[in-house]
Amino acid sequence: MNCHDFEAIASDLARDHLMEAAQREKALAHSASCGRCASRLADERALTDGLRFVAKTANEEAPARVEAALLAAFRQQRAALPGTAPARTARQRWLYAAAGVAAVALIVTLLALAASRTRDSQQPGLQKAINPSPAVPDEPRPASPQPQASPSPEKREVAVQATDQRRRPANRIRNVGRSKPPADDLSRPAAADEIATDFIPLMNRETLAQMDGGQVMRVELPRSALMSFGLPMDMERATERIKADVVVGNDGLARAIRFVR
Amino acid sequence: MSAGGLAVHRQKMTLQTTPSDLDLLRLMMAGDEDAFTELYRRRQGGVYRFALQMSGSPAIAEDVTQEVFIVLMRTAERYDPTRGSLAAYLYGIARNYVLRRLEQDRVFVPLADSSEEGTTHPAMIAEGDALGDLTRGERIQSLRDSILALPAHYREVVVLCDLHEMSYIEAANVVGCAVGTVRSRLHRARALLVEKLRAARDRNSASQEVKPARCFA
Repeated sequence: MNCHDFEAIASDLARDHLMEAAQREKALAHSASCGRCASRLADERALTDGLRFVAKTANEEAPARVEAALLAAFRQQRAALPGTAPARTARQRWLYAAAGVAAVALIVTLLALAASRTRDSQQPGLQKAINPSPAVPDEPRPASPQPQASPSPEKREVAVQATDQRRRPANRIRNVGRSKPPADDLSRPAAADEIATDFIPLMNRETLAQMDGGQVMRVELPRSALMSFGLPMDMERATERIKADVVVGNDGLARAIRFVR
Repeated sequence: MSAGGLAVHRQKMTLQTTPSDLDLLRLMMAGDEDAFTELYRRRQGGVYRFALQMSGSPAIAEDVTQEVFIVLMRTAERYDPTRGSLAAYLYGIARNYVLRRLEQDRVFVPLADSSEEGTTHPAMIAEGDALGDLTRGERIQSLRDSILALPAHYREVVVLCDLHEMSYIEAANVVGCAVGTVRSRLHRARALLVEKLRAARDRNSASQEVKPARCFA
């Protein structure tokens, strides 16, 4: 073995990297007879020792806020994906069921009330506004009505940004290709400090397209109604109430709903 | 799987074996938060340290760690166990994010291949054996700095192979190149480090030579 050959394997030799025993013997024999290569091997071994010490003393870990932010993102994703929701306890199932029944009963009652009113008094002005028109500008994309827990202010931005860039929640209805509720009512979605979701259709598009008028009614629903529409909900706040706007056609049928915070 | 799915899964597994990364990943994909938490806690340290050793910035390391696991939870199905370990997969994602951040921030100054005067950390200088005292605590940071000063393609193989003790094959999987490329880059990177330290030793020796006073007799 000459110096050139030794140079090629000096690093592996110093790092105790696996190599053929014969080659290792030759390299060691060469370094014993060559001062330059012996010095090279000594430097390599010292460097290896230093690097191993650096590796051994490196015990840094990500701050706890990273784990908290990731867990929040994980829960948010899990809530948005059907079929991956965690198993619920019997108490939770009963709570969901009761809340769902209550929500449906409330909506049906409200719709029946609205139907009786609208049959009595048609509003011609609304009919014009109710017709779906592609010229109606899209609403600004709303924030989720149920803010997710985000443990760190500085991480919240990252997590939310990542959420928006990588995955649109399947339950977030886009405006493209769907009928619009009355524009007059949509123009006043809520007070300036309110945030609303997009309108979520309650029936198919064909039926929505046939809508020739109606109105938007502000109602209050159990927060658990969010689950009925596939929206995330904090179980601890399931008994609280949340505002919603229901678009009711002149025929008394509910066409769409949005949640307001 | 229920919230306690991980515990149940463990009970079902035979003879006290801890769940593998792949087991945890599958549970995580099924929505098991405990599995995700365990997988994160198992792998976050390596990912964080890799990003820290590559960037020298705790802020970048923190961001990269978060991004890596967000990518994992959203695109876990892209991981192919036949192509390498999950750890290598995570390192690969981390590497891409680190390089992207470094490109954006340009926080490092490349180390020239040839030895240059004045670029060696004084703490790396030692009399006699320049590297012999590296294990001293005050010199460890200097060695880290020297690694940080390497060009990124050299730095990453030093970090992976020497600091994270990956095999050439694993490192090649992370970097996305041939095993021979990893080997040659590591050889060159270590030679650069040794070269810098030799130069420092020589300068130190020269500065400590006793210069004879001029004799006026």
